[in-house]
Amino acid sequence: MINVRLEPEGRKVHFPKLGTVLQLLKKLGLGNNAALIIRDGELLTPDRRLHAGDEVVVRTVTSRG
Amino acid sequence: MKCRKCKAVAAVALPSHNTAFCPDCYPDFVRSQVERAIHRHKMIAPGDRVLVAVSGGKDSLALTLLLHELGHEVHGLHVDLDIPNSSTDARAACEGFFTKLGLPLTVIELHREGLAIPLVKSRIKRPICSVCGKLKRYYFNKFALENDYPVLATGHNLDDEVSRLFANTIRWDRAYLSDQGPLLPAENGFARKIKPMYRLTEFEIANFSFLRGIDHVIAGCPYSGKASFPIYKGLWSGLEERMPGAKVQFYENFLREGRPVFAAWSDQQGELPTPCTECGYPTSAERCGVCRIKAMVADDEK
Ligand SMILES: [Zn+2]
Ligand SMILES: [Zn+2]
Repeated sequence: MINVRLEPEGRKVHFPKLGTVLQLLKKLGLGNNAALIIRDGELLTPDRRLHAGDEVVVRTVTSRG
Repeated sequence: MKCRKCKAVAAVALPSHNTAFCPDCYPDFVRSQVERAIHRHKMIAPGDRVLVAVSGGKDSLALTLLLHELGHEVHGLHVDLDIPNSSTDARAACEGFFTKLGLPLTVIELHREGLAIPLVKSRIKRPICSVCGKLKRYYFNKFALENDYPVLATGHNLDDEVSRLFANTIRWDRAYLSDQGPLLPAENGFARKIKPMYRLTEFEIANFSFLRGIDHVIAGCPYSGKASFPIYKGLWSGLEERMPGAKVQFYENFLREGRPVFAAWSDQQGELPTPCTECGYPTSAERCGVCRIKAMVADDEK
């Protein structure tokens, strides 16, 4: 299982199986430049592999008015 | 993906530049984009003290850090809007950040001016975002002029600039199209305004802020729900996804091909602002927009 926390909302989603960050973005309906993907304090590019047990933060990129 | 510079594992992929960088090399890329913008548009003269308008968000705090690291003398200015569940966090983010860097920060409190945003919102029919923007621009400009800052910098990014340009283009608003750009020279009672981050997207700045550990507010303004800019930003991110580089092309080509045409039209109009009869701020009416807002809020108070 891969555990994903969506920021800024704080909602959590889980995926039984995912190959790469790109697949995660597609599942969430996000473009490549829509969010920061963070695992263990490290930024991941779309080609990086995800593994069972990963805790991933998806932080949508938005700016205040 | 590997870093273009050192071949380490990349942390940030940039399709519009057809490249990728590791955590150590990425900040240099961001700094060079800002340096290039400042240099190309002659934004800051040697020795200029720079007033930076900060909101507590990633863009304006990243700009502060970058200008400081590029060796400019930076002074922060924050306008506390007094919005519940939002303004306290924004102000604390600014204060914490400036204290950490050892840089001066001034806070203007709108409630002291009788213009706390919730009060203004309850008294005025117009969309609050445009009123709030007007108030912030007014106080930033006023502070810069009264305290002899030759230049006022804001954290506007490429996405901000493109969505604004797009909104102006949809309306073919000649007046706005004549003076949109990363540099507005000082004239007619306005300070010189610069946007040194205009070549960087929101995504690029978010990555920089993360890698440099900038503690910024993430939540948006609770009142911004109905603004039209998010719609344009959404359209443009879809376009950029399919055509990497579209944003920067649209904007840079406007600066080169479009803006001069509208600026020439605007010069022919020859309408110069005059000082507001109440506060002296430049305006095209007798009384400036902010003095009119103040009067409306005060009238209702009675
Ligand atoms: Zn590198
Ligand atoms: Zn006035």
